[in-house]
Amino acid sequence: MAKLILLCLKVVVLCGTVEAVFEDQVGKFDWRQQYVGKVRFSHFDTHVQSSKKVLLATESNVFAAVNTRTGDILWRHVDKTGPEGNIDAFIHHGQDAVLVVGNGRLLRSWDANIGGLNWEVVLDTGSYQSACLIGQQDNVKHVAVLKKTVISLHYLFNGHQKWIENLPDSDTVDYQTVYSSGNGEVYAMGVVPHSHIAIVAYSAEDGEIIKQITVEAPWLSNIKSSCAVIGKGMLICVDVATVSLYMLDLHGESQMTQILLQSLGLEVSPGFHPVLISTQPNPARQPLSEFFLQLGPEHYPLLQLNNGQIVTLRDFNPAMQVSFATTGEKTVAAVMLPKNKTVSLCKSYRERVHLYISMLFACSINLYSAETGRRLLDTTVTFNLDPNGGKPVKLYVQAFLKKDDAVGYRAMVQTEDYTLTFLQQPGRVMWTREEALSDVVTMEMVDLPLTGTQAELEGEFGKKADGLMSMVLKRLSSQLILLQAWIAHAWKMFYDARQPRGQVKNEVTIENLSRDEFNLQKMMVMVTASGKLFGIDSKTGNILWKRYLDNAPSNAVFKLMVQRTTAHFPHPPQCTLLIKDKNTGLATLHVFNPIFGKKSHITPPALPQPILQSLLLPLMDQDYAKVLLLVDDQYKVSAFPSTKNVLQQLQEMASSIFFYLVDSSQGRLSGYRLRTDLSTEQIWEVVIPTEAQKIVSVKGKRPNEHVHSQGRVMGDRSVLYKYLNPNLLALVTESTDLHQERSFVGIILIDGVTGRIIHEAIQRKARGPVHNMLLVHCGFIKCTKSRRNEFSVIELYEGMELYNSTVFSSLDRPHAPQVLQQSYIFPSSISTLEATLTEKGITSRHLLIGLPSGGILSLPKMFLDPRRPEIISEQKNLIPYAPELPIRTEWFINYNQTVSRVRGIYTAPSGLESTCLVVAYGLDIYQTRVYPSKQFDVLKDDYDYMLISSVLLALFFATMISKRLAEVKLLNRAWR
Amino acid sequence: VYYNALMPLLVGFLQATIVVASCFTDMETGPGAGVSTQPNGDRFKIEGRAIVPGIKTQDWVSAARVLVEGEEYVGFLRTDGSFAVNDVPSGSYVVEVVSPNYRFEPVRVDITTKGKMRARLVNYIKTTEVNRQPYPLQVRANGPHSYFMKRETWGWTDFLMNPMVMMMVLPLLIIVLLPKVVNTNDPEMRKEIEQSMNMLSPNPELPDVSELVTKFFSGSKGSSKAGGSSKGTRPAVKRR
Repeated sequence: MAKLILLCLKVVVLCGTVEAVFEDQVGKFDWRQQYVGKVRFSHFDTHVQSSKKVLLATESNVFAAVNTRTGDILWRHVDKTGPEGNIDAFIHHGQDAVLVVGNGRLLRSWDANIGGLNWEVVLDTGSYQSACLIGQQDNVKHVAVLKKTVISLHYLFNGHQKWIENLPDSDTVDYQTVYSSGNGEVYAMGVVPHSHIAIVAYSAEDGEIIKQITVEAPWLSNIKSSCAVIGKGMLICVDVATVSLYMLDLHGESQMTQILLQSLGLEVSPGFHPVLISTQPNPARQPLSEFFLQLGPEHYPLLQLNNGQIVTLRDFNPAMQVSFATTGEKTVAAVMLPKNKTVSLCKSYRERVHLYISMLFACSINLYSAETGRRLLDTTVTFNLDPNGGKPVKLYVQAFLKKDDAVGYRAMVQTEDYTLTFLQQPGRVMWTREEALSDVVTMEMVDLPLTGTQAELEGEFGKKADGLMSMVLKRLSSQLILLQAWIAHAWKMFYDARQPRGQVKNEVTIENLSRDEFNLQKMMVMVTASGKLFGIDSKTGNILWKRYLDNAPSNAVFKLMVQRTTAHFPHPPQCTLLIKDKNTGLATLHVFNPIFGKKSHITPPALPQPILQSLLLPLMDQDYAKVLLLVDDQYKVSAFPSTKNVLQQLQEMASSIFFYLVDSSQGRLSGYRLRTDLSTEQIWEVVIPTEAQKIVSVKGKRPNEHVHSQGRVMGDRSVLYKYLNPNLLALVTESTDLHQERSFVGIILIDGVTGRIIHEAIQRKARGPVHNMLLVHCGFIKCTKSRRNEFSVIELYEGMELYNSTVFSSLDRPHAPQVLQQSYIFPSSISTLEATLTEKGITSRHLLIGLPSGGILSLPKMFLDPRRPEIISEQKNLIPYAPELPIRTEWFINYNQTVSRVRGIYTAPSGLESTCLVVAYGLDIYQTRVYPSKQFDVLKDDYDYMLISSVLLALFFATMISKRLAEVKLLNRAWR
Repeated sequence: VYYNALMPLLVGFLQATIVVASCFTDMETGPGAGVSTQPNGDRFKIEGRAIVPGIKTQDWVSAARVLVEGEEYVGFLRTDGSFAVNDVPSGSYVVEVVSPNYRFEPVRVDITTKGKMRARLVNYIKTTEVNRQPYPLQVRANGPHSYFMKRETWGWTDFLMNPMVMMMVLPLLIIVLLPKVVNTNDPEMRKEIEQSMNMLSPNPELPDVSELVTKFFSGSKGSSKAGGSSKGTRPAVKRR
């Protein structure tokens, strides 16, 4: 019986908390964008003439096919991160795409058509050097893989190894490339730096060594970067020191012939290492005898090897990128040439006309015949490079034969900021993919500004009053503006309603951005690892602005802060991005307007010292910008903005400004206080011995988090008050000893002001990775313990009465809080952890858990309540304890729109208390809204207006009729 | 009798635990140390096949992956639905086929240091319980994921079966139909009914409930009126 009751209770509770997506809501409030990452290798699928595919292998260990017409991903395979999933090489032949993965550990073949795996084989250990296709009599059947010590040949059909041979003298010779021209021989080429080149020719049939050559080359240190095989087996190397080319016939000679570049009339740019760019259109044939020799950043002469003589066909200077492309029997060279022009742009915004004069970098791509160097007619594509983007770094060209046998082409340009732009003749941009968004580091959501008219009205109140009459006039005029706007709006509605559905386009552009009624539409400011910033409309996912910071170092860490929101109208909103070089600690500030992405004219202070910590204070200067404090390695504090007003405020507030610093290498967490002269003093320090454990993460409360209720009502009507300490820090440590029996995970809750350790807990026999999160009065950690993932929740309570109910002070809390703790089994691993956030904190909270499968689980906090009883008790609203937490697919807020490699989840409150905006980012970006307590403050979107109005009408008529009937009856009775 | 019934059960349970323990003696030493201490030890391959009944493999394999212990090891599905996860050291792993559209049950795979494989059902509460599964793995999808809630649709039957409506309709039916079924003109019947009515209200002195309610409401209305009037008078006093 008790069990039955329990079951009933469970069912009731579960039904009460179920919150899921309805099928008709798909795509209504949510969107997903999928990315692949920075492209490393790319091949066009030329297997079929009508193929619309480009295959991309990226540095994020992703292999994908993209539709060339639309830019959408056809299929995508996400391997594990890190060096074990690293794609070393990508060889494309026909329908098969062969990848070498994990430093030569795996050889994989994909079916490019359907995106399924053909085969996968494990290769011998040894670091990977090079791979190539081996053809024989115009048939390509094998792939050769060269490693540090061995060379092996595999069948393209099933991956089986045909033969494997040890490389001779591999302890001295550094074998770097493998080459085959389809005559049944495979050449492995190695170099002993500054001594000689070693070339070994193997028979493709059985792996027998046919011949072995060593050639003196004391100037050569790396074959891969300075040599290429051209034409009929001619190895050409370039030497910077003597400014010359060296040629070696692989078939005969044992001496290299030197050709001075000067004799060809060519010069190398100072400090530039020349690069040879050759092409081998068919792996079963010889490479072409034409090649590019890059002599400077923008200097590419096209050379030809003709009977042992090198001839310059054409000199491209300046040229931005070059590339070879082959279709059928024709090979063309595509060259991207710069074409600067100054364009003045007029933009009207809010009825004012701004004049921008900006340099647009125009480029043109031309095709040249590879054999003659002659330009092909009607092959020019002109396009503009994004002034907020980076320089082009790679050009991929897909050439095809038109009906009239002329060569047509499509081009894909990759720029420094990982953007892919796909172009078609004559200069039409088919699509762009912002691959920088595959690696979002941090983001913020900023409220959109008010509409122009609303802003105008606000402005009226913002200005200083000047006389009664003018104020009245102003008021009248603003009312008129409102009326005008309303009429325009009504007219537009009417006009749109007459248009057939589907044709009405509500394009969101930067000009018509405005806040909606419930503040559900916001601007997502995303910072990516490449140093490109994006402004994305949260409703549609359109990129509204982008800006590439080309001065950001490659190993930078970013911190984004909103200094001024849109709430202070005449002042523009302001975001500050702290860019810190990870190695040196030197930082720069980038101040910009988050709505338009424009750099602010405020000059940020120069920061000559490495920065340790930055903190955004709730203090504001006279222009409503929050004060940013930066602590340098001398423990000196500088403020931005640093006006007199700010410094004065800081002096007054200094005694109550505390901050903490973490040094995980020393295992030290220390608390500091600000002095009035903007120096600091250390007030506490917690040292965690690094021999035993290391600090994994330190987390504090989010500044915009609210708690509505101070306590919990217990079963006996008493109140258990929460310990609401805003200065609480959660410190998670992991043991350095990774042995299963001795490892542990520790969590320490520290008061950030006094350094007092409030609670300490240890999970024995547990190991990382640990994910932790701190809500105002409870912390969550997740760790792995004895083959399963465990979730622990710690909640702090003051007890049955509050010590000081009006204000919380860390310095005056004599009683230690009560600690409740419970652990659960979580039946999956976890990628990331976040909690929903709403405006006032009334709505119950859910935990958002990113899973490796790509789902984002919304788990009610109710399941993670340490007061969950093990036996049925009289306490209401508590689910009986069950060791395993449920995962129900209905709780996946992103249904089948999986987010690969979720790295972070950002939650932001909206204007509606019930609604929380959620952005999950990783390889993909997914935006949606969640309603943890259902939509209690708005009508549901499936609200049945028809039913309500028909019932009302029916009731109305029923009363009318019954009234009439009653009258008749009364009359009849009177007559009786 | 109770004790006798329990005894064989207990013995059976003991036996089961012993069997489990003996199964695991070789396991615990192997995988326990395997994960952390021998990164360069032997690597093994987890093999299997995933099937979605009624769906062509090429329609779903490109979106599916095999995850071993979260994302620690990743495998891909071949065009025929089979898979192999290479380079896995000995240990105990949860192997899961993930697909955005189809649901697969996870399987736990144990690999000894010698490379012996065993598959069993995942049981997070009793991680040592062995419930053998075939190896190489045979993972069959048990239907598509149910991500969506059903909308509550409005229908006449829902309306009629609503308890409130039932409570209103049934007495109405009784009121309307009963007098027609029972002949009220029969004097004997009338007497019987009167008697039963008396039985229902045995204490005629007790005030009627409806009366009580009306009294209560009228009384509260009166008091609220009084309150209102007193409030009304106060400002008037001030005005003077």
